[in-house]
Amino acid sequence: MIEWLTDPLAHGITLRALTEIAILGAVGGAVGCWVVLYEISYSAESLAHGMFPGLVGAALLGLPLLMGGAIGIVLAGLVIAVIGRLTPDSDDTAIAVVVTTLFGLGVLLALSPDSPPGIQALLFGDPLGVKDSDLVVTGLIAAAVLAVLWLFHDRLLAIGFDPSAAGPGGISPALVRALLLTLVAVTVLVGVQGLGNLLVAAILVGPAAAARVLTDRMSTMISLSVGIALVSGIAGLYLSFHARVAAGAAVVSCLLVAYLAAATFAALRDRIRRRSLPPGLPTRPEGARS
Amino acid sequence: MDAFSLPFVQRGLIEILLLAIPCGLIGTWIVLRGLAFHSHAIGTATFPGLVLADGIGFSAALGAFGAALGFTLLATLIGRSKRTGTDSVTALALAACLAVGVILASDVFSSGANVDTLLFGSLLAIDSGDLWLAAGAAVLALAASFVFGHHWLAKGFDPGAADRMRSGSTAFDAALLTVVAVTVVATLGAVGALLVSTLVVVPAATARLFASRLGSLQIASVLLVAIEGAFGLWLSAQTDAPPGATIAVVSGAVFLAGLGFRALTRRSGMKPAILAAALLALAGIAAGCGSTGSGGDGPKVVATTTQVGDFVSQVGGDEVDLTVILKPNTDPHEYEPRPSDVKAVADADIVFRSGGHLDDWTSDLISDSGSEAEVVDLSEGLPVQLHGEDEHEHGHEDEHAHEEHADEGEHEDGEEIDPHWWQDPVNVRFATGRIESALADRNPGQATYYQGRARRFDNQIGNLITGIKACLRKVPADSRKIVTDHDAFGYFTNRFGIETVGTVIPALTTEAQPSAGDLAELEETIKREKVKAVFPESSVSPALSEAVARDTGASTDYSLYGDTLGPEGSAGETWLGSMKSNADAMVKGMTGGSQSCFGGASD
Repeated sequence: MIEWLTDPLAHGITLRALTEIAILGAVGGAVGCWVVLYEISYSAESLAHGMFPGLVGAALLGLPLLMGGAIGIVLAGLVIAVIGRLTPDSDDTAIAVVVTTLFGLGVLLALSPDSPPGIQALLFGDPLGVKDSDLVVTGLIAAAVLAVLWLFHDRLLAIGFDPSAAGPGGISPALVRALLLTLVAVTVLVGVQGLGNLLVAAILVGPAAAARVLTDRMSTMISLSVGIALVSGIAGLYLSFHARVAAGAAVVSCLLVAYLAAATFAALRDRIRRRSLPPGLPTRPEGARS
Repeated sequence: MDAFSLPFVQRGLIEILLLAIPCGLIGTWIVLRGLAFHSHAIGTATFPGLVLADGIGFSAALGAFGAALGFTLLATLIGRSKRTGTDSVTALALAACLAVGVILASDVFSSGANVDTLLFGSLLAIDSGDLWLAAGAAVLALAASFVFGHHWLAKGFDPGAADRMRSGSTAFDAALLTVVAVTVVATLGAVGALLVSTLVVVPAATARLFASRLGSLQIASVLLVAIEGAFGLWLSAQTDAPPGATIAVVSGAVFLAGLGFRALTRRSGMKPAILAAALLALAGIAAGCGSTGSGGDGPKVVATTTQVGDFVSQVGGDEVDLTVILKPNTDPHEYEPRPSDVKAVADADIVFRSGGHLDDWTSDLISDSGSEAEVVDLSEGLPVQLHGEDEHEHGHEDEHAHEEHADEGEHEDGEEIDPHWWQDPVNVRFATGRIESALADRNPGQATYYQGRARRFDNQIGNLITGIKACLRKVPADSRKIVTDHDAFGYFTNRFGIETVGTVIPALTTEAQPSAGDLAELEETIKREKVKAVFPESSVSPALSEAVARDTGASTDYSLYGDTLGPEGSAGETWLGSMKSNADAMVKGMTGGSQSCFGGASD
């Protein structure tokens, strides 16, 4: 049993992967709560494709790829925030327009004969391919993202629950949304490098959604979400090590199991609470949302 | 407008005009109900269905549709928890589908690269099946709008209604989600999974900027899809760019122009001239970018891969008019044809194929372009044929489960042959002979010219074989072991007596991922067998190989040419050069850099 637990730690590959998942689980779990509250999961899943033109541009100009990708993805986040404000529909529409247009632009730019092969895959990593230097960079960026989240916690909370809230002297809702999208963009950029695209969306949304069904308080939700992300991430890597399942997919499976368990628990809890109400009182209608 | 006289462009035009109906009609509801993420996710979530279809051997469209319905059901199930927002539900269901797909591709089927190509559709490779699917989606969308339209409208223009859709799950909403799934699957063949939103979301969102009544909104959306699609297709024919990406940029630009136009007219009352000017500017840019190709004399010949292109030019010299479709910087896994490629195939006298899943898309291209070319599949009748799976060393017991899987019709012998046959020079000698006789049949006047060049090339191959063998003798027999990125070198190692101890990536599709356990075992094997180098492939991301190498002290300094040759000016520009470079890299790697071949050809 002890060996079952320590075996993976004896391998550099799994040790680094565990560290990377722990760091990104912490930051992803926290950012994810805001992604879920602001209903912008689409951006968590798709922003990585928006960095494509930045990536190709950097390759053609001879700049570091990471720099091009970072500029591309942050710009994409800001443009989504601007378009989302100017259009009547949900942010999802803005995300669809921006991401597909940028992706198309990237494909066209990549036709240039100077563009290196498979350029888009260059920034898409795998938890098992992490370098020590990646861990340092990821840790620093994660700390920065968490610090900004902590600083703006109250503003994010006020606007998340009431989008029209514009407190006197505070920062405007539009700016706060833009700030959040920038943070999501940075997290996605670090995440796709360390974990690959599949895992980023799951680690940003899964733990937060699970925490959301368990609690209504934002601070509790964030702690729960970070905890769920850490436990599922580590469990997933052990699964990948012992059961020989693709690493990213194994972590995603554990995140989903965590969500389903949380949802089942919440449903049972609601049923018991409802039963304990005095008979005759109206219960919450089936279709209603909290 | 002469682009539209080409038959394959006409078929693309018919496809986009048919698709305009479901995309416009249903796109309106997608935008009104906030289903943009849902529709994008359906397209991407078809991946496990495509892997299954490829692995078991049934139609890809069926696999995609099954996966799309599975995704919708899963999203409905997860959505029953009333506290989870629609977007989060979509993201969770999508992650689940993709995880299933990755596990199927990496751990169950060891999928080939053709799984990837199914995710990348193209308006230039439309067959009658795609047209029927689009027509069916159009009829279904019309009928459903007619029958359910007023029920859907009853929920109103309320974006929040989307939240109630899955949890309420009335029959009408189920009908809408089903029609969305059909529409998205029909769109896949035209633009591919990543650009579905270009047709089903962006035009409707553009129309929404100006139209506020449902009727005008739907008509405007249908018209926008048709106009943007047709214009993008024409533009792509002029600029020789892939049509899907071109349409994406055109629709995005129109949306931005519309947004700017609306903002300006709201503020200062400026006139529609701006929109027209923006569109004219776009068309002007397009017209300026047109380019034409040219070639030598002799028969018009198309080669699908870089290696085959090199063989044909070695034999044909100046007496063939050669077009090579894959360029050194194109990833064969993500290839989308450009108009000039289809035109070259349509006009060709002979098409030389590499065969197997590396250029599976050519059979579509040939049938869809109306080409009457003679097709020579060079993988047929080769003296050395290996079964890809036998070479997998690091797998588990169930890895052989897929051996019984039968391939779809096109593969003659019904078994999966490792398609990297050119890594064995003996096979290339044989293929050269077939190229020579095909060219001589087509152009008898130059038969002696072709024969002379083929003989010269054959001599060079003979020298190559002796050269590599001599060089490998410098490596002690028990050190002739390598670990590669993915198993593209079975023929090479088989010919020259090198043992492949393991591979880093478990399958040929780029979507496949290794497991932590497999990599840990690979590392132990490398240490136990004292393998000195892990060889990344020049066109595959090296992160995983580098991680393995760092842990084991092996070197990753020497990369190999696998699926494609190198760009102009590199050592692997020609096949001979790439073989010399690979041999040199392997010898350097196996001896820790103390020996080299051909004067260090890999630098």
